[in-house]
Amino acid sequence: MNRRSLILGLSACVVVFFLLSLLTGPASYGPIDSLRALVVGGDEAAAIILREIRLPRALLGLMVGFALGASGAALQGFLRNPLAEPGIIGVSASASLGAVTVFYSGLAGASMLALPAGALVGAVASVLLLLGIAARHGSTLTLILSGVALSSLAGALTSLALNLSPNPFASYEIIFWLLGSLKDRSMVHVAIALPLMAAGAALLFASSRALDALTLGEESAASLGIDLRRARLFVVGGVALMVGAATAVAGAIGFVGLVMPHLVRPLTDRMPGSLILPAGLGGAALLLAADVSVRVAIPARELNVGVLTALIGAPFFLWLVARTRREAF
Amino acid sequence: MKADLPPRGGDVRQDRGGRRRAPSIAVALTLSFAVLAKAEAASPARVMSLNVCTDQLAMLLAAPGQLVSVSELASDPGLSFHSALAASYPHNRGLAEEVLVAKPDVVVTGAYSLHNTTPLLRRLGYRIEEFQYSQTLDTIPGEIRRMGMILGAESRAEGMAEAFESELSRIGSERCGTSPTAIAYDQNGIAMGAGSLVDSAMQAAGLRNIAAELGYSGMAPFPLELLVEKKPDIIVLPEPLAETPALADLIASHPAIRALGEGTLRIHLPRGSASCGGPFVIEAVKVLADARRRVVSCQAADRHLP
Repeated sequence: MNRRSLILGLSACVVVFFLLSLLTGPASYGPIDSLRALVVGGDEAAAIILREIRLPRALLGLMVGFALGASGAALQGFLRNPLAEPGIIGVSASASLGAVTVFYSGLAGASMLALPAGALVGAVASVLLLLGIAARHGSTLTLILSGVALSSLAGALTSLALNLSPNPFASYEIIFWLLGSLKDRSMVHVAIALPLMAAGAALLFASSRALDALTLGEESAASLGIDLRRARLFVVGGVALMVGAATAVAGAIGFVGLVMPHLVRPLTDRMPGSLILPAGLGGAALLLAADVSVRVAIPARELNVGVLTALIGAPFFLWLVARTRREAF
Repeated sequence: MKADLPPRGGDVRQDRGGRRRAPSIAVALTLSFAVLAKAEAASPARVMSLNVCTDQLAMLLAAPGQLVSVSELASDPGLSFHSALAASYPHNRGLAEEVLVAKPDVVVTGAYSLHNTTPLLRRLGYRIEEFQYSQTLDTIPGEIRRMGMILGAESRAEGMAEAFESELSRIGSERCGTSPTAIAYDQNGIAMGAGSLVDSAMQAAGLRNIAAELGYSGMAPFPLELLVEKKPDIIVLPEPLAETPALADLIASHPAIRALGEGTLRIHLPRGSASCGGPFVIEAVKVLADARRRVVSCQAADRHLP
């Protein structure tokens, strides 16, 4: 399949699930009425529901899914590790920890800007730590196991921070930070995540040539004129910005960044650089579809979307581990 | 500390005639307590309260020095209307050991909290008085009188219960016009449905609780979309329970609620006024009735006569 038709096909999927997301919800409006309310206003309640509740939710599904898919592709390429993913290697959990620490301590008042600021710090710290580990031990499994340990630690510290909060609701929010959700978000969330994600995407796209060259090994890449320090900075910065922003507004949603690169890779030229965009689009389509499903499946008691992505992703991860080990030995 | 939070309400639907029957129930309760009272010789010298709801009733009715300690939540302004009163009492954490050390004559607590402590203390021979969590206003005067009976403060309790009943009927008599719609929309988008104390307070203030009308009972997750679609005349929004933030509090400032505009009145209930049954619930009813007056214009002609 050529790249153009792959991108077009994935974009079409994103558009379909985006529209489905806009049309799914407890308030009963027909598709035509809904879209008219979104575009021209019309019935006041319908316009508020579409513009202030469903549109931000659909936009965030698209943005967060794209960020996770693209980050997964970049991490797998950069670490030359098929099991790398922001959720598994602990970037999402560390971003949650950062966001939780800054927000619930009340250091920034109740300002929502505390969320992305804290999440970014957490994400940067975890990526740097993992890069340090990866630089010392080249093994695929060492990195993944370190990531799993980091993920558990960050999760435990997140729970601790929430339990220590004097606000009685904080401890119930552990599930949001560990198994994200897109419920009742608003355009404020879109506004705080969008600029960070755009900057992150720009960094990742700018590093795609370096990622391609790195498939030949670091020395060959250097001999091809790739500035490895710059490439590392761009990948770390790009992943931290995208995952940090995604986690700040939607909690830690796992496995999207693992599954999507593997699903679309066979349809590309297998170069990591050219995988970022299709993996991002695929991630957006997957998360939008998952978010529609959780709303339809149990409408009264909505499931966290991270539960569903884990239900799909964890068995996939197991299969991938088994396959990777077979190939390695 | 979660053990002391109000339980998820059952399906106790409040029938519309409930309030009118209330006086006869109250008389029956008073009579039965009068019989009990004879069995009780003197008022107990030392009383200990383990639940934020019994704390407040006890603080209002106990004689000086009679109440040895109240629960920690009694000082939580988000849950306890009389949190200021609690400052002058020692606090307990609801542990059986604390009761053994304090050796009170009577322990008052809630029926829904401390599932393990209460049976243990009973087995050890303590006199435990359990109070059900009030889910309707009708039961409040009875609870006040019962606490009065336990503490040997019957006349103070009687005065307090009568004041509550007369305030309630005064508010009921001042209703007029059509009943506006309302919803109490708490943290995390939890609505107070049928059978909740807030639902009962709304009925007393002459408001139609849309959550109850849509079949939600107790504390139930209520979709924000549905709230916007039904566009109630009054939204009762929560105030944060603590100084430090939580995502749960953000729902009150969601742009969709703000976008409902001037047609929807946004109010807060006095903090702690509807988390327990007690005489202070009348403050919540007053605020609701006041909101009703701001929404429905009152003309002398259609005033309800008591």
